[in-house]
Amino acid sequence: MWRLQARRWLQTRRTPPAPELAALWAGPLPKPGTAVEDLKFLVCDAEMSALEVAEGELLSLGWVVIEAGEIVLASAQHHLIRNERSVGQSAVIHQLRDCELSAAGDTETALRALITAAREAVWVFHHASLDVAFLDRACQQVFGAPLLVPVVDTLLLEHRLLERRQQTIGPGDLRLQACRDRYHLPPHDAHNALVDAMATAELLLGHVGRRGRGLVLRDLL
Amino acid sequence: MDDSEEMAPGNGATEMLAVAEFLRGSLPFNELDDADLNRMVACLRASYQPRGARFESAEAPAGLRVLRSGAVDIRDADNKLLDRLGEGESFSIAGLNTEQKNVVATVIEDALIYRLPESDYQALRRSHRAVDRYFTGQRSRRLRRAARYQAEPNAMAAELATVMAKDLLTIAPEATVQAAAAAMAARRVSSTFVVDQGKLRGILTDRDLRVRVLAAGVSPSVAVSEVMTPQPRSIDAGQSIFAATLMMTQSGIHHLPVTRDGELAGVVTTSDLIVARQDDPVYLVQRISRQQDVDGIRQLVAGISNLMVQWFSSGMSAQQISQILTAISDAIAVRLIQLAEAELGPAPKPWAWIGFGSQARAEQLLGADQDNGIVIDDNVEPGELDWYSKLATRVSDGLAMCGYKYCPGEIMATTESWRQPLATWQSTVRRWARAPTNDAVMRVSIFFDLRCLYGEADLVARLQKVMLEQASSNTIFLAALAANVLDTRPPLGIFRRFVVDRNGDHRDSLDIKKRGILPVTEIARLHALAHSLPAVNTEERLAGLAKQGFMTMADSRNLADALHFIQGVRIRHQCDQVMAGAPVDNYVNPRTLPRLAREQLRDAFTIIDEAQSAIRQTYRAGMG
Repeated sequence: MWRLQARRWLQTRRTPPAPELAALWAGPLPKPGTAVEDLKFLVCDAEMSALEVAEGELLSLGWVVIEAGEIVLASAQHHLIRNERSVGQSAVIHQLRDCELSAAGDTETALRALITAAREAVWVFHHASLDVAFLDRACQQVFGAPLLVPVVDTLLLEHRLLERRQQTIGPGDLRLQACRDRYHLPPHDAHNALVDAMATAELLLGHVGRRGRGLVLRDLL
Repeated sequence: MDDSEEMAPGNGATEMLAVAEFLRGSLPFNELDDADLNRMVACLRASYQPRGARFESAEAPAGLRVLRSGAVDIRDADNKLLDRLGEGESFSIAGLNTEQKNVVATVIEDALIYRLPESDYQALRRSHRAVDRYFTGQRSRRLRRAARYQAEPNAMAAELATVMAKDLLTIAPEATVQAAAAAMAARRVSSTFVVDQGKLRGILTDRDLRVRVLAAGVSPSVAVSEVMTPQPRSIDAGQSIFAATLMMTQSGIHHLPVTRDGELAGVVTTSDLIVARQDDPVYLVQRISRQQDVDGIRQLVAGISNLMVQWFSSGMSAQQISQILTAISDAIAVRLIQLAEAELGPAPKPWAWIGFGSQARAEQLLGADQDNGIVIDDNVEPGELDWYSKLATRVSDGLAMCGYKYCPGEIMATTESWRQPLATWQSTVRRWARAPTNDAVMRVSIFFDLRCLYGEADLVARLQKVMLEQASSNTIFLAALAANVLDTRPPLGIFRRFVVDRNGDHRDSLDIKKRGILPVTEIARLHALAHSLPAVNTEERLAGLAKQGFMTMADSRNLADALHFIQGVRIRHQCDQVMAGAPVDNYVNPRTLPRLAREQLRDAFTIIDEAQSAIRQTYRAGMG
């Protein structure tokens, strides 16, 4: 948490971010010893047109907020993002067609909404590095600085858990639904950013619930 | 709920989560239209509750909880199961508590739960009459379900009309005894009512035919009115089952006519009353003996774990519970044997079914393995042995279906060496006693606790006699047995700290059966064998040893107390697991015990340790 604070400070000294992002950074960072049930989480999922930042673009963003250990259903948001380039092959995966995307908003609107919802929250992704890379680039373009937020990665948490139990981790064992199955969470229809974000939020609650009481933020980082 | 759009920080995307589709398939939310349903969804909060999580009245936050997945048990203050909820079903602890105090909901399968906060829940009920009615009517629905899961403890208060037989055989007073008997035989009933102009004049039972006709040498052609019991006692249909039971036991009658407004309406028999008392262990045993197939028995015993919780929470002692559970598994074995015999025909030669280990000692709890064998009369021909093998397979498979696991050590009547003529058994015992390797002693020690469950008890008694003769006179054998006893030390380390498993599935726990119950059992067994005591129950062995002066009264009582206490901890642990919907085991985490119980557990283990030291000096002196 301290390193994050330092990176924000350095970034601000070099090139101050746009006011929206600066406002997000201005809030206090949660202390590592904060009990998990006292934390606010923003669970986010992004869909993109390729798995490399260099080749792909953000297509949609979806998120939900967890407060006091409960997912607030009304906090759910889903944003389609308009793109210059065509969706092409990945449409098969994302079931988003160009005609739907043409009805979408721009990156800036989506990011503003996301950052507003994320005040004082710990961010959660399943396989964070990919999503964060795309969000960092989008933030750089829109606000002039990378995101720089505290992040919990449910894929990493599950990986560590399986390792600690000395289980062999087979291919696909860390996929979202495979992780959910271990907590007897119901099957979900994948490949909509919001539905995946909700599924990730449920997984986080499952993971936290199974590890038992007394868990603090440090245990999740 | 009307201004939810303003309050929600979302952008109306909640609909994508398909929660409304889910709710539409569940009562009573199917009554809501799309707009109301979406407004409700926008108020929901989702949480995950792992197995064992509890909701109690005092616990915030309040509201209506809908199960998206998983299962929840609702129990009252006495731990009685009121309801078991699954996907799509909902509960409100506050709502339940207005009907019954201190209701607790326990998650028995990992659950994803949607909570409608209390204020939104009340607003929903105010604005939708159908929804309100549904939740108001939950009480009666719950009671109905409770009866399905568990017999009401006050079943004895139910009206007689619910159990009496209404299809009666009646006969005129002037009919002959011969005609009455023929009618009774045709209808397969044991009594008939003598009715004249709608009025009950008398009753004629099997017993009357035997005592007043056959034994008295009366001709079967006399009129029924000559031999019937005139003006029999009767009871009103509005009376309780309890009242009828009382009347029948007090006057020693087995058939009681039931009247309504003075007219004959039906009859209750002793067996009808037995069936009515489902939760009474004695009657459970009787019902097992009436089942016609394995599946019937399986269904009856499926609810045993819940009954155990009920018995234990109503104050039954650990010994009483293990006696009952043993009586139940005895009854199951006996019934399975009878069913197998009905299928295979009568046994070619006399034989007996033996229960070993905890069953023999009447110290079984839930989840017991089957340990059994067969002893056959020595006159059996080789060609006849197949009958016993077939019987063993049928009974053993039946026991497995009823939840008694196959014995991992194959100590079962299906294994040939545990299904032998008496002479073969006796020579096996002599062989064991002659060359007692430690391993062999450990394997067969269970064999020295044996009891005849079915068949010729004399065969088992003769086998036990040889066993006691061999054991008591053989110091080498006793030393080997003693080594086995000393093999498991009580789980106390230095400074009397508990020694628990450091890793694995049972981290921080200790196997209370292996480390606590079995050592006491083995100590008692060793002394009993050394002194030729025929008792097998551990308490009886300890009492017998003290009475005959082989053990001080204080040592005997201390060991018995240790056993009772540890067995109580074990049953309590298993009851907790049953209530949490978990499979039962014997792994207790000492830290979860109250402080006093923890200290008492330490004392119990210390007593065992001292008793083991005494054994080292008596039986292993000079053997290291």
